[in-house]
Order: sequence, then C-alpha cells, then structure tokens
Amino acid sequence: MALATAYALITQDVQAAVFSANAEKEQTEEKQQAPVVGTVVDENGTPLPGVSVRGKGGQGGGTTDAQGKFSLQLPSTEVTLIISYVGYLTQEVPIVRNQVMQVRLQPDAQALNEVVVVGYGTQKKATITGSISEVKGADVVKSPQPNVSNSLAGRISGVIINNRSGEPGYDGSSITIRGQATTGSNDVLVVVDGVPGQIGGLERLDPNDIESISVLKDASAAIYGNRAANGVILVTTKRGKKGKPTINYTGNQGFSSPTRLPKMADAATYATLMNEIAYDANPNGGMNQTYTEEQIQKFRDGSDPLLYPNTDWAAVTLKNTALQSQHNLSVSGGSEDVQYFLSTGMINQDGIYKDGATKYKQYNFRSNVDAQINSRLKIGLSLSGRQENRKYPIASAGDIFRSIYRAKPIVSAYFPNGLPTTGIENANPAVMVTDMAGTVDNPKQVFNGILRGSYKIPGVEGLSVDGFLAIDKSNTFQKTFSVPYLLYSYDASSDTYNSVIVGGNNNAATLTESHTNESLITSNVKLNFERDFGLHHLNAFVGYEQSKSHLEYFDAQRFNYLSTLLPELSQGGSAATDYLNSGYSTNYNRQSIISRVAYTYDDKYIFEGQLRVDGSSIFPEGNRFGYFPSVSAGWRISKEKWFKEKVTFFDDLKLRASYGTLGNDNVDGFQYFDNYVLVGNGFVALIDDNPVIQPNVNLVKLANPDITWEVSKKLDVGINAAFLKHFTLEAIYFQQKRSDILATRNASLPGSSGIVNPWETDQTVPLVPSENIGKVNNQGFEGSLSYQKSGNFSWGLSGNFTYAKSKIIFIDEASGTLDYQRQTGRPLNTYLLYNTIGLFRSEADLEQYPHVTGAQVGDLIYEDYNQDGQITADDQVRTPYGNIPQITYGFSFNASYKNIDLSLLFAGQAQVSQYVLPESGTVGNFYSSWADNRFNIVNNPDGTYPRVSERASSAISGGLYNNTFWLNNSSFLRLKNVELGYTIPKSFLDHLKLASVRIYANAFNLFTITKVKDYDPEGSSGSGQFYPQQRIINIGASIKF
Amino acid sequence: MLSIKKYIILTALALITWAACKKDLDINPTDRISTASIESDTVLLEAYITNRYIGARLQDKEGDGTDPGFGRGFEYALWSSLTDESMYTNDDATWLIQRGQLSPENTGIAGVLWARSYRSIRECNYALHVLNTIDISARHKTQLQGELQFIRAFRYHDLIRNYGKVVLLGDTVYDLSDDLQDPALFDRKPIADGINYVVQQLTEAAEKLPLDNSGDWVQGRATKGAALALKSRILLYAASPLYDAGTWEDAVEAAQEVIALNKYSLYTGGYANLFLINDNPETIFARYYTKNANHVHLEIANGPNGYGGWGGNTPLQNLVDAYQMVNGMAPFNADGSVNSASGYDAANPYANRDPRFAATILYNGATYRGRQVETFTPGGKDSGDGTDNWNTSKTGYYLRKFINEDYPLQNPWGNAGFQPWNYFRYAEILLNFAEAANEAYGPDVVPPNATMSARQALNLIRSRPGVDMPEVPMGRSQTQFREDVRYERRIELAFEEHRFYDVRRWKIAEQTENVPAYGITITKSGDHLTYAQKEALSGRLFLEKHYWLPIPRTEILSSNNTLEQNPGY
Repeated sequence: MALATAYALITQDVQAAVFSANAEKEQTEEKQQAPVVGTVVDENGTPLPGVSVRGKGGQGGGTTDAQGKFSLQLPSTEVTLIISYVGYLTQEVPIVRNQVMQVRLQPDAQALNEVVVVGYGTQKKATITGSISEVKGADVVKSPQPNVSNSLAGRISGVIINNRSGEPGYDGSSITIRGQATTGSNDVLVVVDGVPGQIGGLERLDPNDIESISVLKDASAAIYGNRAANGVILVTTKRGKKGKPTINYTGNQGFSSPTRLPKMADAATYATLMNEIAYDANPNGGMNQTYTEEQIQKFRDGSDPLLYPNTDWAAVTLKNTALQSQHNLSVSGGSEDVQYFLSTGMINQDGIYKDGATKYKQYNFRSNVDAQINSRLKIGLSLSGRQENRKYPIASAGDIFRSIYRAKPIVSAYFPNGLPTTGIENANPAVMVTDMAGTVDNPKQVFNGILRGSYKIPGVEGLSVDGFLAIDKSNTFQKTFSVPYLLYSYDASSDTYNSVIVGGNNNAATLTESHTNESLITSNVKLNFERDFGLHHLNAFVGYEQSKSHLEYFDAQRFNYLSTLLPELSQGGSAATDYLNSGYSTNYNRQSIISRVAYTYDDKYIFEGQLRVDGSSIFPEGNRFGYFPSVSAGWRISKEKWFKEKVTFFDDLKLRASYGTLGNDNVDGFQYFDNYVLVGNGFVALIDDNPVIQPNVNLVKLANPDITWEVSKKLDVGINAAFLKHFTLEAIYFQQKRSDILATRNASLPGSSGIVNPWETDQTVPLVPSENIGKVNNQGFEGSLSYQKSGNFSWGLSGNFTYAKSKIIFIDEASGTLDYQRQTGRPLNTYLLYNTIGLFRSEADLEQYPHVTGAQVGDLIYEDYNQDGQITADDQVRTPYGNIPQITYGFSFNASYKNIDLSLLFAGQAQVSQYVLPESGTVGNFYSSWADNRFNIVNNPDGTYPRVSERASSAISGGLYNNTFWLNNSSFLRLKNVELGYTIPKSFLDHLKLASVRIYANAFNLFTITKVKDYDPEGSSGSGQFYPQQRIINIGASIKF
Repeated sequence: MLSIKKYIILTALALITWAACKKDLDINPTDRISTASIESDTVLLEAYITNRYIGARLQDKEGDGTDPGFGRGFEYALWSSLTDESMYTNDDATWLIQRGQLSPENTGIAGVLWARSYRSIRECNYALHVLNTIDISARHKTQLQGELQFIRAFRYHDLIRNYGKVVLLGDTVYDLSDDLQDPALFDRKPIADGINYVVQQLTEAAEKLPLDNSGDWVQGRATKGAALALKSRILLYAASPLYDAGTWEDAVEAAQEVIALNKYSLYTGGYANLFLINDNPETIFARYYTKNANHVHLEIANGPNGYGGWGGNTPLQNLVDAYQMVNGMAPFNADGSVNSASGYDAANPYANRDPRFAATILYNGATYRGRQVETFTPGGKDSGDGTDNWNTSKTGYYLRKFINEDYPLQNPWGNAGFQPWNYFRYAEILLNFAEAANEAYGPDVVPPNATMSARQALNLIRSRPGVDMPEVPMGRSQTQFREDVRYERRIELAFEEHRFYDVRRWKIAEQTENVPAYGITITKSGDHLTYAQKEALSGRLFLEKHYWLPIPRTEILSSNNTLEQNPGY
C-alpha cells in the first residue's frame, strides 16, 4: 500500500467561501464586460498578496497586489475563478461580476493529512505512533555543504551529528541517533528509496534530488530487523507531479575556509623554547645552549631570511579561501498517466591548499519515472548515476596537517632563491599539497536502479501487491602515481644548496592501482491490504525481501619507472621484484520476511504491530534467523468529544508509545570458525644465499561458534501537541536496553592464556572474535517546540533538545580493575586520566605533593586520588564525558516578508569532552596558547601551561601520564546555517518568460562559541592533526522556467 | 476469484524463492582457511609452523615492515637504548626506562614481551597438538616437533630473562571457552623450574632437529645448533649471580656442545661486514629479511642529521670510553683518569682504538658516505648547527654497526632494511664458554671434554682477522679474566641485545646503569678540536627492582591481582 499511497496525489476538498451581497442576482448580458474585481484574504481576514487568480477556462488571469486585491478582464465565457496560493487550499469560485468579490482562503489541510515516509510505506503524520522525524529536501538545500550528512545537524531532535573533517570528498559527518548505545558499531542504517543499505549511501546524494529524509529513532525501525538497532535514516527522492513541465535550475558559488586553525609559535618563541628544553636537561649550561640571543633576535626581526627564517606553515601551505560550486538542473511534470522527475547536477570542490592537488568533482543524474499502465497496474523506474572524482596529493590530509603543525617556524618553506626546503624531515607541507610528488586519482562510479510495480488485485477492494528489484553497483578505482622530486638543504659553510630526492620509490616513480567493485541486488515483494470499514481503517502487509552483496577487490603495484611520463602499469620496471599484486572478494546475503498490521479507529485510536524475520549470512547456521517484533499505540485525545468541548487550548493532542526488539549485525563475517590467512611478509628463508619470503599461515581470528546479532529493546513514550494555532510540541522519553552486544574481549584476557589481540591498526583484526557479551542501557529525553506565524510577515521559531545518556552494564574489563576506574556503570567512551590540580611552581611544591619519578618544577601536579602518598596508575579516574555529546540541541528561526526570506539554524552540543595533546617539542611546533603560557622558571614563572619538553607524547606532563589538562570541554554553539533569500517580483519576470527567480546567500559554520582554544571542537583527533572543518559562504540562485 | 488465484500464485512464488535461496546464506569465504584445513593439510600446517618464528605486533612503533621475531631485534628504538650502550634520540618510550620511571603501568618499549611470548607459546602448543593427529612422515614429524619445542623454549627464555619467575603452561592450549581465571594461568614458578623446563625442551629439540639446513629444511629454520646455542645461553644465565639456578660446569658443557658440532666458525671478512651479509659461517640462527619483508630502514632511522637521518640510536660516551686501545690497554683507569700508559690522546680520542670501535660507532671525523662526519660546533653538518637539528645526536655519536652504506639513506622506503638479525652467532658461544669455563675452572684450564681453555676461546675472538687485538696473556686471575670476558662481551656483542641482560645477570647494573648517560661536546676553533664530556640524557637511574621488568599492570588486573608482581613495583 505504501507505494500506492506515495504515488497518489492527495485529493483535496474544495471549499469555497464567497461572500457576496448579491450572489443571487441574475446576470444579464452586457455589451461592456466589467472587470472581475475582488480581494483575497487568509483565514484571519488578512489580505494575501501574490495570490494567483485565473479563469478556469484559461482565458486570463493575474495575481493579487500588496493589498490582496485583483482586477481581471475576463470574457463572459469564464464563469469560474481558480484561486491558488502556496500553503492554502486551491479554491474554485463562481465569478460574480459587478461586485467586489471577497475570497477567503483556508490553510492547506495537508498539515493534518501530511504523510511521512516510514519503513516500507508512508503514514499520516497525525496518526504516527513512532518517533519519526522528518526533514524536507527544501531545508537540506539551505546548507551550502555539498555533503548531505552535514546538512542535517541541528535540524532533528535525537540525531547527533559531528563533522570530524572538512577534506573535500571525505567531509562527511558521523551520525548517531540518540547518542551511543553500544560498544559495538553505532552505524545508522541508511535506506534510499526503499533499498536498505543502498550502495552510495546518504552523503553524496544531490541535495536537490531529495524530497524528504525521515529518521526512525525508536522501535518503529524494527521493520528493518537485524540492522535497525542504531536507527534508520530513510531518504526519499523527488518524483514527478502531474502538471506542465517545471524546469528548475539552481546554481551556487561557495567560498570555504577553515573554521579555525591553531595559532602556532613563531620562530623566536620556538628558539626560546628549545633553549628552555636544553636548560631543563642541563641547568648548568645556561639558557642559551641551543640558540644565542643574537640568533633569536634574527629570527624575530627577519634580517636573515636564509638562515633565520620565521615561517607560518599554515599560511604558506593553505589558501584563505577555496572555491566550491554546485549546479543542478531538473525537469519535472507529467500527464495523468506518466510523471517524471529528471535531474542532473554537478559539484566542484577545491581543497584549501595553495597550488593544491586536492579536488572533488561530482556529476550526477537521476531519472524517476512513474507510469500508470492501467487502472490497476502502476510501474516506476528510478535510475541514478554518479561520478565522484576525487584527486589528492600523494600525502594524506592527516600527514599534511601533521607536517604543518610539526614543521618548525625556524625552517622556511622555500629558500629566498625559490628552492623548496626539506621542511620537517623531507616533508615540506607546502610541497606535499601540490602534485609535485604525484597524485592520487580516486574516481568512483555509483549506479542505482530500481524497478518497482504495484498492482491492485481485482475482486478484493484494498488488496494489492507490489515489489521492487533494485540493482546497485559501484566501482572505486584508485591510481596512485608517486614520483620522485627534489627538496633542498642549504650548506652555509660552502654556500651551496644540496638536493635530496624525495618521493617515489628507489628514486624512481612507482604506480599503484586498485579497484573495488561492489554490487547489491535487492528484491522485494509485498502483499498489501488497506481499506476503510466505516470509521475503522486497516492497513497491513506481508512481504519477502532478500539481498545479495558482493565485493571484489584487487590491486597491482609496479616499481622503478624509467620515466615519470608513463603512468601506466605496463610501463614500469621489469625485475621480478618490480611487480606486486593482491586481491580478495566478499559476499554477504540476507533474507527477510516483513510484516505490519496497522489499525486506526476514527483516526483516534491507533495500534500497530510489526514483525521482521531476518536472516544474515554473517552468522552460522542455527543462529542466522532472528525475530524482530514491535508494537505501538497512539491515542489522539483531541479527537475525543469531551476533550474538544472542555479544552480549546489544544488543536491536536496525541499520546503514543512504542516498544520493540531490534538487532545489530554490523560485524565481520565468518567469525564462527577459526580464521587462518596466508601472510605475504612472514618468515624469510635463505635459499642459495638469497632471502626468499616463504608461504606462511597465521591465525587471525579465533572462532565463536555461537555468534549472533546484538539485541536492542527500545521503549518510547511521547506526546505530540499542536496548540494555540501556532505551536507544535513533541516530547519523548526514550529508553534502550542493548544486550548481546558484539564485542571483543581484551582486558579480561590474561596474556599467559596466549589469547592476545594484536596492536590495533587499520590492517589488523582482533584475534578474539566478536562475542555477544556487552550490555548497555541508554535513556534520555528529546523534545522540540515550534511556533509558526503566517501572514504577510510570516515567521517561525523552533528548537529541539536531546539528552541521551548511556550506562554500561557489562563491558569486558579486567577482573582486578579498581571500582573507580571501571567503565561498568558509567557512560560509554569516557577517558581514564590523571586529574591535574595545578603546576609545580617551586621546589617547595615538589616537596609538598606526591609526584612521579622525574617530575620537575613546571610539571603538572596530579591528584593523589587514592591518597596513598604516591602517584601511580591507581590515581587515574574516569572522566564524566567522552567525545560523543550527551546533550545536543538546535534552534532555527525563519521569517519572510514580501519577497525576502531569512532562515537561521544554530546547533550546539554540551556534556562532551575531547582530549588533544599536540605533537610538540623538538619533534614539532607548539600551539601559541602553550608556547605563550608555558611555565619556565626563568623566562615565564607565571606560566599556566606545563614546561615544554622534547616530546609532549612522552613527557611527564603529557603522554606519559595522560591527564585532564589536555582534556577540553568541547561544548559549542555554532551558527550552522544561515540563509537570506530574495524572490524577484513576478512583474520583473514576465517578459523574461521565467516562472520564478530566487537569489540567496547562505553560510555554513559561520561562527562558533566554545571554550576550546586551538582547534574546531567538532574534531575527534587526539593529536589535533586533521583537515579542519570548513566555514562556507555561498551565493546562489534558483530559477524556475 | 482471479485475485485469489494470483494471491496463491504469488505466495507460492515467494515460498519457492525463499526455499531456493535459503542456501544463499551459506557462504564459503575465499580468502581464509578454516581449522579443518590446517588440521588435515600438511603443507598448510607446515606454513603455519614456520610462521611461529614471527610474533605478533603488540605495540606502536614496532614491526615496521614485518612483525617482530624474538626479543626486540631491529626496531626504531633498539634494545641497546635501554642500556649504557646508547640512547634513543626520539625517546619513543625509552627514556622512562633509562630514567628509572619504569612501572607496571608505564613499561615503555619493554611491555610486550609477556603477552607476545605467551601468544607464541599457545600457537606452538596448538601446532604440537595437531602434529599428533596429522598423517605425516615420522621423520618430518619429529623435526617439526623439535622446531616447535625450540620456538617455545625461545619464548620462555625471553620471558625468564626479563621477568624471572614465569608461568609454565606445558602443552596446554587455552581456548576462549576455557576458564581464563584458572589459577594455573597465574602461577609463577621459581626461576629454576623455568630454566629446567627450557633446558629439557632444548635437549629434546636438539635431538630432533637436523644438524644442517637443506632443501626441505631451509636456512632460517632452527637446527640442532640453534637449540644447543639457546641452551648454552640459558644455562650461562642460570649460573649467573642474579639467577643462581644452575652451575657454571653445566654452562661450560652446553657451550662445548655447540663448539663440538664443528659446524661454526668465526667470520673472517671483517667485523663491520659480519652484520651485513646473510650467508655467514658464524651464524647459528638468524632472521633474514628481504624486499617486502624488511625491517626498519636503519640508515635513515639512525643516520646523522646532516645526511637527512633521524639520529635514532646514538652511542653513549660510556661505551666509547670502554673500547681498548689497539695495544689492548684500557684508555682509562678504573677511577676515570686517563691511563697514560695506553697511549690515549685526549686531543685525538678516536685514534688507535680497538678496530671494532670504528665498525660500531660513527664519530666525528669518521668517513661515511663520501665525507667526514661533523658533530663539532660551530658549523658541523651533523651537529645542532646542521640541517634538521632536532634530529642531531645528543651524544655526539651515531650508530655504525649494522649500517649498510650500499642502502639508500634518503628516501629508502622499501629499498633498505634487509640486514639479517643474528639471534645466535658463534662468537657468543665462545664468549659463553670463556665466561663459564673461567668461573668453573679458571682462565687457563681446558675443561673436561673441551678442546680449549677460557682464555683460548676469548682470544679466538680478539684475534679475528680485521680485529687483531692482542691476545689476553696467560696467568690472569679468575677475577681479572672475568673483567676480560665482560669487556669482550660488551665490545663484541654491542647493540646485539646482550648488554641489558649481562649487566643484570652479573648484578652490576646498579653500578653501570647509575652512571649518567654521557656524550661529547666537540668544539672547533680553527683546525683545533676540543672535547668535553656532557650529560646527554639527564636523570639516568637504576634501582634494585629494575633487575627484572615489571609485569604489565594489565596482566595483574586481568588476573584479579593474583599474579605475583616482581618485587619493588
């Protein structure tokens, strides 16, 4: 039924309210036709300007003026006026000549009949019983961020969005629904046009193609079974509507720049710090063991840029602004039988690097066509394709920013003669960002095709069958051509510049190509029954769905290219060791039975039950199939007669609750047997004096024959209300109990058992399999309140707030863990740190407080938490918060007056911490905040930051004893989005043959209020070394033909 | 009624599809091997066994290129940088050990040996268990058993020499479904029990393993000699004061067993070259590396900053001062004053030293890659006045041993890191023999069943072609000769992971490791150089508890505090 409903246009009752003193007066033929005049007002009697008024016969028309008045010359054959205005019901009114007609428009009742996309269907908003929030595509496009995941922040209660990086092509946000609820994967399931886990996902959809985004936050998601526990995001793309073609063009030109970059120490400061480090190690040597005062002065005054430069590495590497542009052209319309929506778009994003190689280019198209074959059969075909061209320098963004922050201000990027320097250990970020070392070309093609049909079965009213076949395909290709290039060092004694060959391999170019080919085939068939029996309404379906996902990967590498002009695999060196290749493939299949029964009585009492039986090849036979039931109910009190009579305050009031079981299977497959793999670089034997790698086998995964999905039981109790005409309110209490969490044991395993997990990297998997052992409870509150006032000056305010707190009931911990260090009983992802209670400012302080071996004046004082007179690991304590906020909130304001509209969106988070210890010392530069405020007994005895040392990562006041000094409260409030638009008056456009033109300016991350000093508070890197989040200022136009 | 028919047909179709696809959920992966294959396919099993020479990577900044083997081996920070041989410029969790800040929660680079060794032991036990059931020729099965027993013994040896008392597991293979709080997992046995177990295992392994490598027992796999060499080392340790769990006589006998194989001899192609070549008559057991299975790129990791190196493991003045003059005399007296009789010239300190000095240490004025190393200031290219001065040596020296000038220093990725790591070479066995024979019988007595005296064994090393140091004369007292042996071990085996254990087992660490970490400041004035000793790394400290490593805190916690911690921690 879902599809039929989705496709159907909502028929509306036509209400006419014509007030005419002489409505019954007979019309006599007149030689001179008097103009048809009148006024259009809204439901409150306020005149409405810009309302379309036309004769039904198509013989003429116009719009109302600022006073809501119209005056039309219409032939006498016209007897009916059609009056339409956005947000109001279209009316047909009999023409009354020689009278001033007064037409009162009624607000579009769609607000009440509005439908929301839910799992496998749509539902009337009024009778929804689950916690489902929706964002319209029209709001998504208000953000100039081309990555859709960034456009949702702050818009929806319960959805926590953190943008961790701004690198073009990899600038997506992490999305969690109602915070973290598991120690396992917190990934949200994304369903696009009904296809669960559609290849290509959410982030790279063209925002202009999106009709709506629904988020299923509670047990309503149970219809997605063993992948639904972390919530489900449903994206629906636009479809054609009956009517003449609408051609729509939008174009945007944006200017992006980092939201913030840390200010780094300058050369003179850095040289001073180097002296202080040397002094601390050997106080007898004095304060100028590394640099003399004269040298420091030269760094300061810039008198000798060759030997004593002063480099701001961010400034020499990064541009002030990078350009981005987005264009989209769409045509939609259709006849009674065929409707279409065709769209094409492109995105162009530059990196913020000077002469940088980084570029993201996207081209996409979409064709959604629906056809009514006969009165019963309807089919639709959706095709979409996308080309994502990513191009990067050889160095990753992480390496580049690491080099920017590490590179010393006492080294220049280029010598005065223009030659590039060796930077920091042959990593010169100003050069790394260019294509000098070669480039990484990383194009990806995504294709999504969905053929769907629905058939109304004759004989039984309301019975229909529908289904779809979806084919998704993506190809990711990566071509990395790494070429050698020259950097220079200066030899002062001989006044010569010595070159160093950097990049490539073995002083020659090297090429790596890899190819990932993914496919997903999903098929679904459903039998639906939907019918009214008097005031009873029944809507039910049962269906079967299966999907097969397949991935093929291979890569090949070739070394020792003779020429850097031949970047093809066939052109490399010819020795046996010049070739390398590898590859693998994976398969995952799923089978499911889905069903739902929804019953409503008079739109007043609502009951719904869902059940999905889900099978996944990730688990062994016997543990494959899971049952995921959910129930929900709603009571619209406002529909009760007694309530209506007594309480006039409320326009609508609904109480609702839901409860259900959901699953999470997001773990690697084949964990039910021991996994042995061939190792490519293991044991090497000497054969005829030549070392030769031997075929080796390694155990990488122990078996867990009992592995199955994790279980989430979600309870939701909510209230929805509309009151005083203008207010809407939603308040929800939610609770989630996650059990059988798929987690790997580590801390509890004694090393002597030999069951030891390897060091965790991208390349390794834990030896221990995922086991259904974790337990986490999560509960909280979310609410939203909005006010909307329409009229000439219409405006609205809305706010949302989410508090979600997790509590670990069971997590794998060592049996001997101290109570106050346990994670059990505390929220997820907290840090275990030493509390800092100050700075040792004198020898007396050192005497007074317990301290670790080697602590000196200028180091941090750690709290002796267990008061045993010494600082040991037992003094570490758990922080209250981790880097997933417990509180998120957003509020938005929109207003329009005449042709001008404005919207603002603020997003914020609180009860959140981020640990950042910069890679500083002789190993890298310092944030100015540290350099300027560091303690030094001679130079800066009032400093508030610890003394500087060789390496922060292994300093007593740094990484050796990770502590709360480096933990920041990363709460923030930021103006996520602002848009100001102007719609050009129609009178201007008429002769241009344009239907409408709107020009606008908008911005993303315009400003931020936070206590974090040096980096963007949305970052998650513990070293602060990441491509910064972007502030985007954008201008654009939307033109309808 | 048509509709009902259709409904039935559709339902039937759905059910058929369902039934037809049900086996779709059975997927056989194509990139991994199951237990059943390992337990039935002898080729796979053997490939699994040979990979036991390699351990799991358990920590950041180790296993660069390939996973670690036994001990530490070639990594960025060498094990030597926890001793008075060198310091690691970039710290990387070594300074805390040098500075006595080692604690159960801060074990630095020394925290992985416990878990890595036991993981390997479990894997060996599992393979031994499979060997009992698999169909394979008896001869080969015996060899494989010997190989696994050897690897397991090597892991126990790594445990014993670092932690002392260790948990002995026998042939048990613990599984996830077992009780992992089993008290047997936390029962640390006396050192003597550990030694006895290792010795017994090695005795068996030596009987089972082939004497020579061959086509089906490729070089790199353990041989009889490897098992006997390890037995020699562990018995030497056992007899040492810290262990006090064996006799010097047994240690002599064990070393003599290796010597008596008559298979190994000292390499004669030069001391520096010894560490660069793979095929070497001196090698008893080594780990080999090659392209795509390389270790750390030693040249850039340890090279002087003026060459673009990162100045990693830099020798201390403490070691520099230890090298004798070519005449066999120490340049310094015990009190630190210059031994004027030795001919040592403080204005020209590197001249006329034991030739192994120049092969081990890169010093100011030494020729390296076509120019002289300049650690002097002002202006020295490899000093703080040179490029990338944050990488300059704090000691004034750079590492020379193991360094191969034929490998690129700049931009070496994938084209260096191929030097072999010798786990056992014959020189060590001779030194084991010399030490044990001196302790048991004195320097000039040829022990029973042996062919030479302690002194003769020592002199074989001193007179190696290219080293050519004067022989230790007849008539040294046992105490004097003990010092001779200690000198020889320190010099001959520098940077090979011996010093750390030697100073502990001799119980002299409280002296040697409480000496500050010295370096040299060389000041150039015209053509004149002046040398001044400096402290390269402040705060060097060794306490009695440091004779053994602390058991990592995570291990104590996972045992619910029942695993006994080493004293003092």
